[in-house]
Amino acid sequence: MRDNLKNTVNRRQFTKAAGLTGALGVTGVAGCLGGGSDRGGDKFKFGVVTSLSGDLRFGGEVTRRGYDLWKKTINENGGIEVDGSSYEVELTYADAKSDPSTGADAASQMITSEKVDAVLGPYSSNVTLAVAPIMEKNQTPHISGSAESPRIWEEQYKHTFGTVPTVTLIARQAAEEILSLDPTAESVYVSGVNGPFSKATASAMRDAAENKGVEVLAYDLNPSDTDWTSVVSSAKSEDPDLHFHGGHIGSHVSLLKAADQLNYDPNGFFCHYGVNTSDFKDGLGGDASGTFGATVWLPSIERTGGKLFGSAADYAKAARDEFDQSPDYTQAASSAAGIVYQQALEELGAAPPLSDTEQSKLVSILEDIEVQTFYGDVTFDKEGDFYHNNTTTSPLPVQLQGDDDEAVVVGSSASASEANYPVSE
Amino acid sequence: MVSTELLSQSIINGLLLGGIYVTVGVGFALVFGVLEIIDFAVGEYVMLGAFTGAIVAPMVGGEGLLVVPLAFVAFFLVGVVIQPFIHHVTTGDRPMPLLMGLVFTFGLATFMRGSILTIFGPNTRNVPTNALSGGIEIGGLGTFPEVRVVTAVVGVLSLVAFMYYLYRTTGGTAIRAIAEDRDIARLMGVNINRYQSIAYGVYAGLTATGGVFIGLIYSAGPGMGLQYTAFAFFMIVLAGLGYLPGIIISGIVLGLAQSLTAVYLGGELVFFVLFGMIYVLLLVRPEGLLGKGEVA
Repeated sequence: MRDNLKNTVNRRQFTKAAGLTGALGVTGVAGCLGGGSDRGGDKFKFGVVTSLSGDLRFGGEVTRRGYDLWKKTINENGGIEVDGSSYEVELTYADAKSDPSTGADAASQMITSEKVDAVLGPYSSNVTLAVAPIMEKNQTPHISGSAESPRIWEEQYKHTFGTVPTVTLIARQAAEEILSLDPTAESVYVSGVNGPFSKATASAMRDAAENKGVEVLAYDLNPSDTDWTSVVSSAKSEDPDLHFHGGHIGSHVSLLKAADQLNYDPNGFFCHYGVNTSDFKDGLGGDASGTFGATVWLPSIERTGGKLFGSAADYAKAARDEFDQSPDYTQAASSAAGIVYQQALEELGAAPPLSDTEQSKLVSILEDIEVQTFYGDVTFDKEGDFYHNNTTTSPLPVQLQGDDDEAVVVGSSASASEANYPVSE
Repeated sequence: MVSTELLSQSIINGLLLGGIYVTVGVGFALVFGVLEIIDFAVGEYVMLGAFTGAIVAPMVGGEGLLVVPLAFVAFFLVGVVIQPFIHHVTTGDRPMPLLMGLVFTFGLATFMRGSILTIFGPNTRNVPTNALSGGIEIGGLGTFPEVRVVTAVVGVLSLVAFMYYLYRTTGGTAIRAIAEDRDIARLMGVNINRYQSIAYGVYAGLTATGGVFIGLIYSAGPGMGLQYTAFAFFMIVLAGLGYLPGIIISGIVLGLAQSLTAVYLGGELVFFVLFGMIYVLLLVRPEGLLGKGEVA
């Protein structure tokens, strides 16, 4: 056999093998990408760069559901109204494949080939950080419905906005509430994944503990694919009152499974993001109960309402009818991003396709916009560390409780339920 | 100051993590060493095994362990069906069969991953077990997670059983003869297709079985396979190319390096240390840790 290795490659045969490989691969991932670059003037065309494959595909699907539900609902309601005429919305998707450079390439391709009017942003801060400079270079309006890393806003990108408050605010405020539960925690172990969003989350959790005078026993960052028994063993030897973890859902599931296997049982785990998603609950089976998380929106929450959906409950019902599962805050924030564009385009009063000048005016309108939505009131900071981030929507600490592991608000707010704390089985 | 209990717990974690890697590495080393196929789909067999556990376990009383024999038999048959296609693209007048096999299995891996994503969606899924829950505390040493202990034992037993088959039975002798020289084996009356199908079937079955256990330990997700493909490559490089018994050593070394690095140097350095080990080994000892692998 090894003699054969010395032979020259027969190009035709190699091409056949490669072709078969490609055919198999394409069959497997068929249907993931949208296509077509025809540009008519009867619709507003939005590009969406999000992760439909790779490690972040779950979050990418969440954003996709949010954007799709906005598109479906607005089109059913006649579209975006401009000077007495209504224009439907079209979304064209590009797969960032959970990879920042792929996301940047896809964004660039989308702007030059698809000639979109504006862009709805990727899932994950990593990809958003790669896409935002492309938007800046092309002066294309860009609203993210999911990215939470503070680094995005620190970069002061003029064309990038975000409807989810930065994790610096969400995780810190939720952590402070959880640290105030009775009996008050005296020590905390902070772990996280070493990525922009997750690291910022873990850092915010650590800051919250230090601000409250709680001893931080360790600040332990790891790669996302690590085996979490090492972290759990270290944490168990420190015996903290609470364990805080910053990461995406996969790392939460792996951490809590390792904790169960090693009999590590602090008074509670606080994980951000996604404890109220089906991915988290399915991944842990019955062991998800009692986990603390943070959110900025729940189906049961009282919010102002406004365009398209009258309340959070209305939105949740529409989402369940469409996708057969409850929406989380990322999905809600993604739909809210669409609603913000809707109001901004109505204020702009320009028909599609938008010229460069009109896109520039759209950015100016977004800077000053105030929108009331089912998700909450949305405005964007005009200066400071959270430049163009929506910091108006309030964070909420939650805990999974009951037979169905429903996320309920806990903490000091008037509508909060009693926390199961210290967490009992 | 180094805590003795944390050190012993880290060693336990590393050894058991090594056991998990052995369950993946056994089959991969088998198809590389015996069939001389670099199977890029190895991690996807792990993923399919884990998904089988997640889907079937609720149908058998919520016990993932009961899925293990089913997964072995089902994926043995899958392997038997797939192997003739691999044989087809890696034999005859085709040049560079190793590359052909690599390209074909890469496509197979993409197909498997994409299919699961399309059929079941992106969600992570739990593989339930009631029989293996929590860990056994042994004073002074640490905690032995039940599911990881069983996984490691199964991994090592699989390797021992396969070594026995390979070196103590007629079928195993035939497979080794094929690996040595396919043409002479055929002249000696060995049914090449049959034994290659059996070997690939055993590989697919063992790897998917490992996947069920990995699903019990972590969970099942469509994107989990690539990580195990990478580790399988690490395993056979450390073990020495084509040297099956080295898989246990390489699994233990990888597991311990990962565990001890995470605890004593920092989790951020884990993959830096692992990749560094592999590169250094390839440079200074390409025949593997035990020096018994094949070199060109």
